[in-house]
Amino acid sequence: MPDMPINFPTLVASSIHDIKNSLSTVRELISQITANQQNSSSPEFTQLELETVKMNNHLIQLLELYKIDSDKFNLMIDEYSALDILQEIEAQHAPTLQLNNINLTIKCSDDLYCYCDYRHICNALSNIVNNALRYTNTQICISAYKEKQYIVFCVEDDGQGYLEQILSGNSIQTVSPVNTPNNTGLGIHFVATIASLHTAKDDKGFITTDNNSSLGGARFCLFLP
Amino acid sequence: MSVNLSNKTILVIEDNAVMRRSMRDMLYTLGAQTIYEAENGIAAIDSMTKHQFDIVLCDFVLGSGKNGQQILEEAKFKNLITYDTIFIIVSAHQSADFVLSSIENKPDEYIAKPFNPQQLIRRLEKSYQRKKFLSPIEKEIVNGNYARAIHHCDKSIEKGNKAFHSQLLKLRAELAIKVADFQKAGTIYQEILQQRELAWARLGTGIIAFFQGQYELSIGIFEDLLVQNPMLMECYDWLTKSYEAVGLHEKAKDTLNQATKISPQSLSRQKKLAILAEKTGHLGEAEKAYLATAQLSEYSVHKTPSDFFGLAKIYSKKNLKMEALKTLEDMRQQFTGNPEADLRAATLETEIYQEIGNDKLSRQSFQKVKRLKKRLKGKTPIDLQLEIAKTYYLKEDPESADKIISELIHSHIDDDNFIDDIRQMHSDIGQNNHSEVLIQQTKQELIHINNQGVGLYKKGEFKQALSFFEKAIEEMPNNKTIILNMAKIRLHELKENGITQETLLQTHHYIKRAEQVGIAVDKLGSLKIEFEKLTRTLPE
Repeated sequence: MPDMPINFPTLVASSIHDIKNSLSTVRELISQITANQQNSSSPEFTQLELETVKMNNHLIQLLELYKIDSDKFNLMIDEYSALDILQEIEAQHAPTLQLNNINLTIKCSDDLYCYCDYRHICNALSNIVNNALRYTNTQICISAYKEKQYIVFCVEDDGQGYLEQILSGNSIQTVSPVNTPNNTGLGIHFVATIASLHTAKDDKGFITTDNNSSLGGARFCLFLP
Repeated sequence: MSVNLSNKTILVIEDNAVMRRSMRDMLYTLGAQTIYEAENGIAAIDSMTKHQFDIVLCDFVLGSGKNGQQILEEAKFKNLITYDTIFIIVSAHQSADFVLSSIENKPDEYIAKPFNPQQLIRRLEKSYQRKKFLSPIEKEIVNGNYARAIHHCDKSIEKGNKAFHSQLLKLRAELAIKVADFQKAGTIYQEILQQRELAWARLGTGIIAFFQGQYELSIGIFEDLLVQNPMLMECYDWLTKSYEAVGLHEKAKDTLNQATKISPQSLSRQKKLAILAEKTGHLGEAEKAYLATAQLSEYSVHKTPSDFFGLAKIYSKKNLKMEALKTLEDMRQQFTGNPEADLRAATLETEIYQEIGNDKLSRQSFQKVKRLKKRLKGKTPIDLQLEIAKTYYLKEDPESADKIISELIHSHIDDDNFIDDIRQMHSDIGQNNHSEVLIQQTKQELIHINNQGVGLYKKGEFKQALSFFEKAIEEMPNNKTIILNMAKIRLHELKENGITQETLLQTHHYIKRAEQVGIAVDKLGSLKIEFEKLTRTLPE
């Protein structure tokens, strides 16, 4: 594209794209190498898999945030089955769950429907599940139910729970990227942004984080109007 | 439900060998047994010509040749796949569906790289479920049987499957618009909007306003929608159409410009932008859009000489005569043995050589024009006929030129845009208003003929009305108004006097003709439905 004016954010965005493509090939090669190894379930491979997934998710989030920032973004809202969304997330994480012997359960009625942007909500929740995968011991539960005018999606685990500075308590989560060790808060910032873009009349989507999981660990909730 | 892949014939199209191997292995682990592979578009089309595939997994970016979207387009165009084939586009872009949306040939699914076997099988299962619901309807739409499509659609909605409810309603409303049942479509959209402000339903209300000629309303709806949904590509197309309908060509052009900035990959949009930019005198923008068109169409089945011709015309107008001649030579190379390309080249060369003072070459080109014109006859596109008329004026044969123009005016008197093009051409060669008398005369003539014919029809004198319009059609074989009226009368006759082989064929003929001359589906749809209902008993 010769006469396209290039600014820094655009340059960064297109570089992220390239990195993402390379990463995709790297992941492919890793999985082929893993398949040829006898001790393929060794912790190094698991770690490798988790790290590349994390990198990929970060890149996707950065790209989406770039688009939101530069008005190249809007949600494609339609009515979708909540169960279908949860199953999509389960499918996305199936290999990692299996590799790490983590049990994922889905709790959702099959006649629960919600208005949302399917792709973005799947991406957002997927990020949270990814996070849960890092901190859980053996269990993750993803669920959806109706509460007042909201459809609520929850991700719970049986790990140590969220750190104090990430907890939203009873109020809406407002975390913006912060510098805590090992965590820039990008994931939560991203999900909160996507949630808030879901609106209906006077209501707006939001997220909450607490340690009230029935499994004993962290609980993340996404409220969609 | 679980899809059984063992009895499916599958094609994997991917240029990267590592990825191709991985997709193939993934399909094997899912139970597939018959898998073919292709590493580029040519191999893919070749394979689809030889085998009937149930599932096609196609990467979007495939090196320098055709891309995934172009393969899908070509496969559909050449009937290599049916509505039962599942075509999935694999893309590294999460947002492929955005970038590509509004392209007519949508794949069944997009899947973003990287994906795992569970994700793939879920996509396939969902596609098969959707096919089960929608393909009986889509099949009828493809065959143009709207009445049956509506019938199937209503049945499916009645069954009340929540998972496809939204999609079925959307389809039902679109079908209603196709047959000009705006009330039904409007009711569906309004009911949805009462529940939730959904962009596609709001867009629908704008489309209805457009077809009912309420352009101010439609423009308002589309503009508002784009503020909230800058990525709703279809909306740019409808807004462009609305601006054009009220003669705001500059605004139409700006709208498309915005759209191509967001999604530069759409061939039809770039093409349209080129034409609008040229029309509004923005030669630089037109040049850019034509270049984009040429680049996008390089590997497309929809590549046409008219794009090269358009670019050459722009160069000529910008006084870049050598560039223009080079572009025409390019066109000849790209379309060897295509008489339309040869005729286009010769026509513009006649003009350009004359302008640079090379009378000999200009005369030679003009001889070619005359020869090729005879060969192409009725297949000459109307924009080219107009150009040919122009060369006749330049070569001081105004009689021949006027003859062409007169025929064009007669057959296209109800196409305001094209009539404007004729006026423009005359003013370009310094003959302002030359065609005005003829245009006005023909308009009057048409109104007169039409009134007389319709008058006879209203008095119940069908036979006379028929023979009257038949004569009119001999005079103006491509006139939309007359053809449409003819179809209406024929249909009425069918209803009144019962069906005979002869009347059936005649009615069918005129409905087909109406489609060929490009009568909008909203005007023709209800006729088609009536015709279908008369000639077929609907399946229960």
